[in-house]
Amino acid sequence: MAYDDLRSFLDTLEKEGQLLRITDEVLPEPDIAAAANATGRIGENAPALHFDNVKGFTDARIAMNVHGSWANHALALGLPKNTPVKEQVEEFARRWDAFPVAPERREDAPWRENTQEGEDVDLFSVLPLFRLNDGDGGFYLDKAAVVSRDPEDPDDFGKQNVGTYRIQVIGTDRLAFQPVPMHDVAQHLRKAEEKGEDLPIAITLGNDPVMAIVAGMPMAYDQSEYEMAGALRGAPAPIATAPLTGFDVPWGSEVVIEGVIESRKRQIEGPFGEFTGHYSGGRRMPVIRVDRVSYRTNPVFESLYLGMPWTECDYLVGPNTCVPLLKQLRAEFPEVQAVNAMYTHGLMVIISTAKRYGGFAKAVGMRAMTTPHGLGYVAQVILVDEDVDPFNLPQVMWAMSAKVNPKDDVVVIPNLSVLELAPAAQPAGISSKMIIDATTPVAPDVRGNFSTPAKDLPETAEWAARLQRLIAARG
Amino acid sequence: MNHLPVECPRCAFEEISLLATSPVPGVWDVVQCGRCLYTWRTIEPARRTRRDAYPDSFKLTAQDIENAIEVPAVPPLLK
Repeated sequence: MAYDDLRSFLDTLEKEGQLLRITDEVLPEPDIAAAANATGRIGENAPALHFDNVKGFTDARIAMNVHGSWANHALALGLPKNTPVKEQVEEFARRWDAFPVAPERREDAPWRENTQEGEDVDLFSVLPLFRLNDGDGGFYLDKAAVVSRDPEDPDDFGKQNVGTYRIQVIGTDRLAFQPVPMHDVAQHLRKAEEKGEDLPIAITLGNDPVMAIVAGMPMAYDQSEYEMAGALRGAPAPIATAPLTGFDVPWGSEVVIEGVIESRKRQIEGPFGEFTGHYSGGRRMPVIRVDRVSYRTNPVFESLYLGMPWTECDYLVGPNTCVPLLKQLRAEFPEVQAVNAMYTHGLMVIISTAKRYGGFAKAVGMRAMTTPHGLGYVAQVILVDEDVDPFNLPQVMWAMSAKVNPKDDVVVIPNLSVLELAPAAQPAGISSKMIIDATTPVAPDVRGNFSTPAKDLPETAEWAARLQRLIAARG
Repeated sequence: MNHLPVECPRCAFEEISLLATSPVPGVWDVVQCGRCLYTWRTIEPARRTRRDAYPDSFKLTAQDIENAIEVPAVPPLLK
């Protein structure tokens, strides 16, 4: 089942018992963020939250934690809500192979219902904005799909980027914007600023659930997020033309904000509680002038809480970070079985692989660090054997404890690139990186005493599936 | 609300401007510091709205703001 907008997905979450409506009056701060923070502390199948009685507001509708559990992530992909995580990742990887699926252009976007332009733009009158963490510099848009085009190749549909970036509201019509240098929009901005030109931008809020997943996905520069959304949905992604920029934006968005990143300008932004579980420092960042806002009547303002993991953002970008690394590694190393890159956007990755010859696993680890996403993230890699499930942390810890001889199996490489937000980087943007080879050595790397491993019984896999079926049938 | 706060809880700057008022009249205002751009709602807890209760670890000085790094750096203009 493919959802064309946020509202239809919220309906499904409610029918599946995965949406909690909070109708008592709440404070905009700290209640909304604290409630969303709490969803990450009450178990893996926490519900989405919907608030419509917020002190001082008359028409506020706020959705939080929409992707914030494995059950909700499964439902976003149209899977049964009890689908195990490893199966969600495998299904994600299987659907990836349908890429590209051309989008479907529609003209009747519901966000055309209302418009603010020029001096009439007032984001506070459209959005029930609120703050998340105590040390945040202000109110943020943190779950938008941001659309920009390559200024040198504006007609290339694939190079049009749809990404999630953090955006601070610093005025009624002004935003501060964080483009991480490794990300596509930073390349667009650099090309525009080299020519002294503003970069047009469209920011879409309250999108269908797969759009949120692909916007947070580390895809190749010239791959279209809309064509990937079609593959993951199993149906063309509905898009529409944004009225001011002419960009392609999701048809089903609640709000579409258009404007420009003002060329060669930086202004203080932040700090902000981040996905790393630490605050970013206050930095001078690009600023956006908003020229037009289009929005559905009574828009649902979707946001997410982020802070010390796990939070919604970890569920949202967990599988979508695993799959590109899995595909890129397998392209050259078909021995790779599975990739778990769910820890803080892939700053730490666990890879299971068969070995071609001695030393092979370490090569797989080094390749993970040189993938496009790995350049900015993968700082620690744990390699495990092909029969270890990298999503099963007790198995991974067993491999670490039984297979690792630190002198030979831990490799530290100094001064590699990492995103500036990594708290351990020194200086910001530079880190050493580590490979832990927890695979069994194979010839000619003959070390240790691994000749008699205890293996699962041959009938165990069949029994595991049988037990899962029996448990599911029990409801 | 009747009057704006007199100083920024974060950087102690004394120019505070009004960004928004509550749709239900008189419940809260959203205000902003003219220097560090810190933005807060007037009914937030004291730890976010009052200088004397604001955590030291989040305070900023004029120097912090001036010396903050640019991300991303502004590239050279192409000739």
